[in-house]
Amino acid sequence: MPKQRVWDLPVRLTHWLLAALIAFSWWSVKYDHIDWHIWSGIAILTLLLFRLMWGVVGSSTARFANFVRGPKHVVRYLRGDWRGIGHSPLGALSILALFLVTVVQVGLGLFNEDDDGLFAGPLANHLSPDTTDKIRDLHEFNFYLLLGLIGLHVAAILYYRLVRGKKLTKPMITGRAATDAAAGEMRPGKWWVALICLAVAFAISRWVVAGAPPF
Amino acid sequence: MRNLLFAVVGTVALTGAGFAAKPLTKGQGLAIMHERHEGMEDIGKQNKVVRRELTAASPNLAAVRGATATIARHSAEASHWFPAGTGPELGKTGAKPEIWQKPQDFGGKLHNFQVAARALDAAAKAGDLNAIKARYADIGGTCKACHDSYRTDMHH
Repeated sequence: MPKQRVWDLPVRLTHWLLAALIAFSWWSVKYDHIDWHIWSGIAILTLLLFRLMWGVVGSSTARFANFVRGPKHVVRYLRGDWRGIGHSPLGALSILALFLVTVVQVGLGLFNEDDDGLFAGPLANHLSPDTTDKIRDLHEFNFYLLLGLIGLHVAAILYYRLVRGKKLTKPMITGRAATDAAAGEMRPGKWWVALICLAVAFAISRWVVAGAPPF
Repeated sequence: MRNLLFAVVGTVALTGAGFAAKPLTKGQGLAIMHERHEGMEDIGKQNKVVRRELTAASPNLAAVRGATATIARHSAEASHWFPAGTGPELGKTGAKPEIWQKPQDFGGKLHNFQVAARALDAAAKAGDLNAIKARYADIGGTCKACHDSYRTDMHH
């Protein structure tokens, strides 16, 4: 089968940076580099904001509208009746869950602070210390949800590789995969639209870092 | 020199409690650990109150003073919070055994915290916002210096 583009550069970069930053966030908090942990969270926030916008105006395989589908499509996919590129209807559920739980994790982190009150997310001052105490527990709990979803994600990739003989990791690096001719082609996004999304994501992140002051 | 003196005094107080006084009963030890836990937790909470005020558009000085006075009071109480025998061997605690293995260093760090707590409270009473902010940064450094070496991650 001929190889063709399936993931554009912004999608691939966002994916691997998210993976690296989530690992770094775990490491930095485990080894008491809370300041690095907070900045890592801000970087993840920027990536999520970017990805959210790119999911509306980006390439065809990046767009939520093109891969978020109802249960009917999932059932059809499971029956082997799906031809397409990008996220499969089942994979899309996994990606949505990962995205959502990561959004929740970063959102909780913004309001989190440590026991001593020495380190605080940029929005913690908006809530009472009693409330941020609860948020700390939720931030910890939600990380296990995230870890579980990451485990599922990796297990699924291994399953496709070992049982179904389908390589999913390489296309996420090179952007290209062998696809069915009937599956259609990826319609790329525009580079300057990506730059605008990135600029907006940075601007919103800076505003959050400043404690989300009123305009 | 003054710091060294205090460190020595602190050391004597810490280790002395173990030798001079009768060993603590289990109940006494646990009672102190409970008081220590509650006190530390309250210091953290008051610290958050101060930060909220200091970053607010118009800080409420009365709230700051209430919090810094409480921190200063707890910091004085802290001299009695670490008698020998109140480590992890007795009960659940974030206090590391190193506290009693390096009493001189620990005593010095505890003393630095007590000095910073009084200075912060004095600045709050005087009411100059910039001075309060500077002393607030100081006290945070003393909390961290001690916790980095002598406290484990304890989740409650």
